[in-house]
Amino acid sequence: MKIILELFGASRDFSKNDYLEFEINGQTSIKEFREILLTFVDKKFKGNTDFKKIIESSAFCSEKNEIISDNYKIQKEQKIGIIPPIGGG
Amino acid sequence: MLYTKVIDVKEKRLSIAEAEDFISSSVFGASIFFSGTVRNQNDNKSVIGITYDSHDALVIKSFKEIYNEADQKLNIKDKAVFVEHAKGYLNLGEISIIIAVACKHRDEAYILSRYIIEEIKKRSPIWKKEHYSNNESNWLKGNPIVHEKN
Repeated sequence: MKIILELFGASRDFSKNDYLEFEINGQTSIKEFREILLTFVDKKFKGNTDFKKIIESSAFCSEKNEIISDNYKIQKEQKIGIIPPIGGG
Repeated sequence: MLYTKVIDVKEKRLSIAEAEDFISSSVFGASIFFSGTVRNQNDNKSVIGITYDSHDALVIKSFKEIYNEADQKLNIKDKAVFVEHAKGYLNLGEISIIIAVACKHRDEAYILSRYIIEEIKKRSPIWKKEHYSNNESNWLKGNPIVHEKN
């Protein structure tokens, strides 16, 4: 199923667009999705360590605008937001 | 009483006057206006501007949660709060955030204003990309947001 990953903050450097699209299996957890993103960085950006750190330190947000943990299972096509470390104000 | 908004600076600029209009009331005897502005130095680098990015829905949600927590944690019941945050590119000196609070007494107003900005720094998904005089730019590192729910 298709997942649209909405990009924010430093993760915007992953694409010229505001989002990335991934094809994943049903019942993929956020922990597993994080691994998919790390593999994406390996392939697309030659394992860019800064990008990997962003993924490892980011939270994720469901389309209901709730922060979701690594145990959260993605059960349907949806938008997921990546929330890198924050620092506004 | 709460007003919150994320302002796209391509459409308008943040305005202290609007904040003052919102919190003005003879019910309150103390008002505090806090504004954050773009500074020209950070980590010994010469800053010429900042791009602010925001997850708007989560930011507004966090502002509302912070406001509601003030009831329970600070026991400040009667209050007016205006919070706006900018999104987009700001030049030096331009306002990135306005927090205006009005309470019955000054002690409450100072405590509430400080509480809101400190919680926003910890919890509201807002990001800064600094632009420097040498034409480089950099996203600031920030702090990981707390995982709230399974």
